[in-house]
Amino acid sequence: MTKARENGSSGCRCTTAFQGRRNARSATALEGRRTRSAALRTQNRKNQKNAIADERRARAWRLLIVGLGVLILCSCQGPAQQFCPPGVYPPGADTPNAAAYPSPYPSPYPQLPESAYTGVPPVPPQPQPMVGPPGMEQGVPLAYEPTGPWTPPGIAGPWPQDEYLRDGGDRELPARVSRDWEVFGLDLEDTVAHYDTLDGRTVVEPSNRVHIYAPRFAAVRKVSSVRAGEQVGRAGGFHLATTLLGPTETLPVGVGTQNYQPVGGIAARPPVIFRSRQGDGVVSEALGAVGFHDGLLPFENLAVIRMGTFDEAEMPQLARGINAALAWSHDKAVQVVLDRKAAMAATADQTSPSIYTIGAPPGDPKLRVIKVASTPFAEPGDEVALTIRFDNLGNQVIGNVTIIDNLSPRLEYVADSAQCSLDAQFLTQPNEGDSLVIRCEVADPLEPGQGGVIRFRCRVR
Amino acid sequence: MMAVVALGWLGVAAPAAAQQPGVHYLHQGVMPPGAIGGRQLQRGGPLPGYFQPVEIKAPQGALVSLAVAGDFDRPKAAARRAGFLIGQVYRMRVTNIHLHAGLEVFPTIEVIDRLYPPRGQETRFAIPVELTHEDLELALQGKFVTRVIYLEDPRRALPVAENPQQQEWFEVGPGNDPLAAADALGRPVAILRMGARLPDAEGPDMQFLFGCPPFVEYPPRREPPAAPAPTEAPPAAAPAAPGPGPGGAVPVPPEASQP
Repeated sequence: MTKARENGSSGCRCTTAFQGRRNARSATALEGRRTRSAALRTQNRKNQKNAIADERRARAWRLLIVGLGVLILCSCQGPAQQFCPPGVYPPGADTPNAAAYPSPYPSPYPQLPESAYTGVPPVPPQPQPMVGPPGMEQGVPLAYEPTGPWTPPGIAGPWPQDEYLRDGGDRELPARVSRDWEVFGLDLEDTVAHYDTLDGRTVVEPSNRVHIYAPRFAAVRKVSSVRAGEQVGRAGGFHLATTLLGPTETLPVGVGTQNYQPVGGIAARPPVIFRSRQGDGVVSEALGAVGFHDGLLPFENLAVIRMGTFDEAEMPQLARGINAALAWSHDKAVQVVLDRKAAMAATADQTSPSIYTIGAPPGDPKLRVIKVASTPFAEPGDEVALTIRFDNLGNQVIGNVTIIDNLSPRLEYVADSAQCSLDAQFLTQPNEGDSLVIRCEVADPLEPGQGGVIRFRCRVR
Repeated sequence: MMAVVALGWLGVAAPAAAQQPGVHYLHQGVMPPGAIGGRQLQRGGPLPGYFQPVEIKAPQGALVSLAVAGDFDRPKAAARRAGFLIGQVYRMRVTNIHLHAGLEVFPTIEVIDRLYPPRGQETRFAIPVELTHEDLELALQGKFVTRVIYLEDPRRALPVAENPQQQEWFEVGPGNDPLAAADALGRPVAILRMGARLPDAEGPDMQFLFGCPPFVEYPPRREPPAAPAPTEAPPAAAPAAPGPGPGGAVPVPPEASQP
């Protein structure tokens, strides 16, 4: 009992202590619960604020996307068209112009020609403002369209030149005349004229070139036969060469060296220079290449860039590239301006050996030499008449006019067939092609505007 | 240093390179009929379908027949003109040969290139293929005659007048290629082969006739009348351009005189 009381008393004390501890724990738990609840509420408020902010941002993005879409769709529309009823024109438009103001109603001027009378005064054409960079106010140069050298009609080049006889011009080395009137550089088929001027010069002028279709054939023969019953003899014996009895000494390889295989090559590229010249000094440029990262690109894979040699077959491509350069902006283009005029590439179907212009300076002698043939085609044995017309187109008298024709090996001069409309002397001498060089020396000087005709015949060999 | 080495190498290699042949010929004259023309067609150009006029010349009295539909057509007197396709082989039969009556020769003609004459002058400028009496006799003796007809380069042509009765020709010796020789002198356009081949006793088969390719028959050449040569003097030349001249005496410098 005592124990019980003691226990009881002690139990009361214990209960009180336990109660105190429990109260303390309860207070602590309550405080923790309150703290957690406050944290949860704070977290919930933060989450709610974040959700609201996200929703606002999403709404703003949606509005932004819709706005951008509307802006893009509006920008895709064409210019605003103003629809007007018939007879009513927008401000500033005093004449009906169906093209500028299309109307959904039937037009009172349905597709009338320009010459039709409608009662409305015609609108004078407005002058177009000049466009183009300085020096090209009259327009950008036209595209270059080379046609190449002369070709027979109906045949696209390259045409076989071995079927034609050519005579005239000054091919290969240019003809020159020394002080004692000795002619150098006169090749076969050349036709030139030289004369003396008042200031002591000797000028050489070539003629044009004539083409005569006159193919000639020859043959190469080979005769072979079959020899029946012929038998190749066998080898009767052979030499017994002295052979080595044996090696005297053998040295095995003691050390081997393995060279490293080269993994790359180093090569120096020569400096590349690009040179181009067109016409008679009209276009001339030299560009030094500073370096290339790689091989030649397709647009620059030209012989003039690869090797520096100009190929006529690449003329269209080269001219196209030059025109492409002209189309660049002003500060980047390859510009060649002469007297504030842009350089232009000129072309023609037929070229003349010389171009003369009016207004030559005083004392400018000119001699024009034109050569024609009587037929465009001939067979061996036919006779062809060749006519040379020469005229003094300069503004001063010229003397010692001499016309020289170095005939082709296929042309044989018909004796005593040369004639001249002026007082002249004909001389002939053999050339390296076993034909003749016909030399016509005009006796009197030629006044300005004076000319003459030479005619002679040749037989096609 | 590299430049010195390169120059030294060039100096050593130049004589060796000069000894090499300059041209590697893709075709040889000993190739079978049709091979060269077929390769020419593969090289492109306006060759397929073009009938190149050919004038077949033969000795006086000889008759020429062309292969048509598995047989030879009616013999006609030479010269005979026809348009042949390029790359095809045309078999002929030549009969009535002088001093060899009753014997026949069966040459072939292969056109390997064409001409580009002015329009309307195609038949006038035909490729001449000559069957000389000597060639026919060699073929009758069992020889094989190859004649490559080429177009002369005008700048390297022989400066002699052409004999209208006989074409200029050259002989190449054993071991030499007639096609290469013709290519060095001009542009080969046709190959004539004759001898060493006879048809079967039953008659010519299509293999012997090379399939009888089509051709265009042209009438024989008519000699044009000789035109009189102009002998009159040319008219006095009119002034080229009106303009005031200096007039008076000609002020030619004293050193400018005729040589």
